[in-house]
Amino acid sequence: MINDEYFLAALRLASGNDPVPGHVSAAARDAFGLRVPGAVTAAPAECAAPGGVRDGQGSHLVRFVTAGLTFDLEVTIGDGLIDVAGHVFPYPGEGAVIDVRTPHLTLSRRIANTGDFAATGLPPGWLSVVCHRPGHQPVQTRWVRIRP
Amino acid sequence: MRDPAELLVAAAEGDRSAWDELESRFGPRMWAVARACGLSPSDAADAVQGAWLRLLQHFHTIREPAAVGGWLMTTVRREALLMLRKQRPGVTSLEIVEEPDPESAVLEADGRRLLWKTVSTLHEPCRSLLQLVAIDLGNQQMAARLGLPVGSVGPTKARCLEKLRTLISAQETAQ
Repeated sequence: MINDEYFLAALRLASGNDPVPGHVSAAARDAFGLRVPGAVTAAPAECAAPGGVRDGQGSHLVRFVTAGLTFDLEVTIGDGLIDVAGHVFPYPGEGAVIDVRTPHLTLSRRIANTGDFAATGLPPGWLSVVCHRPGHQPVQTRWVRIRP
Repeated sequence: MRDPAELLVAAAEGDRSAWDELESRFGPRMWAVARACGLSPSDAADAVQGAWLRLLQHFHTIREPAAVGGWLMTTVRREALLMLRKQRPGVTSLEIVEEPDPESAVLEADGRRLLWKTVSTLHEPCRSLLQLVAIDLGNQQMAARLGLPVGSVGPTKARCLEKLRTLISAQETAQ
């Protein structure tokens, strides 16, 4: 069953009305710069609610897991920006670096020997974290959308 | 011109021009899918960007590289539906499926040609009305252009879309 909205979208597309905005195309092209060659992707853990759990204080708690590495992210939205307090375990070792990434801004952080890291003042939207460990493939979390 | 499977493999290996070509080929339709799901322009932009970001992480796991277009349409539609569901408490899922999305077939190039061809076979006022709908003319302007009372534009539009749906379904069944 095809609904009317699909017909209307197809008619608009064919007529050239409602074309994809230039900034949307540009963002899609720029996204290629976020490719991490050879990375392993950590999926949201089944025990966590997909898309995150709100803890009642405006924070999203999200867990991502892959073989050998788990990320817990607490994402807080305030004043239109997002802060990330993260924990990666087991401790990935000396020299490991975390990149907290959005399409517009990447912040690199050293990891404390407790496995904790933090990044603040990120723009809302899509977010992913990558762990670079010497001698290992990078591990990236699946992209998650964070909006107020 | 490279086919979609070649573009996907090249992009996975770091060829930026292949990525740009994928965007040129599929970006407009992804936008139409997001908008067809009822998203605002800003949410549609997020859904489209999300689908591209997912592709970056699925270069090597897409089962049918030749069908990357269908994968992108399904993914953007799924992101769009997740956004809509998040506005209401309910079930959400981050699972990505690779099955082709039958509803977006009408947004494919062939589907659009078939759609316009079918519109052109409709009698008036449906033929003109659907052409005006396509350019988002408001009901008042449409009424003036078609010589109809304003109050009858909505019901007439519904009848015309129903006729179009019947004809398209009949053609799809015949194929």
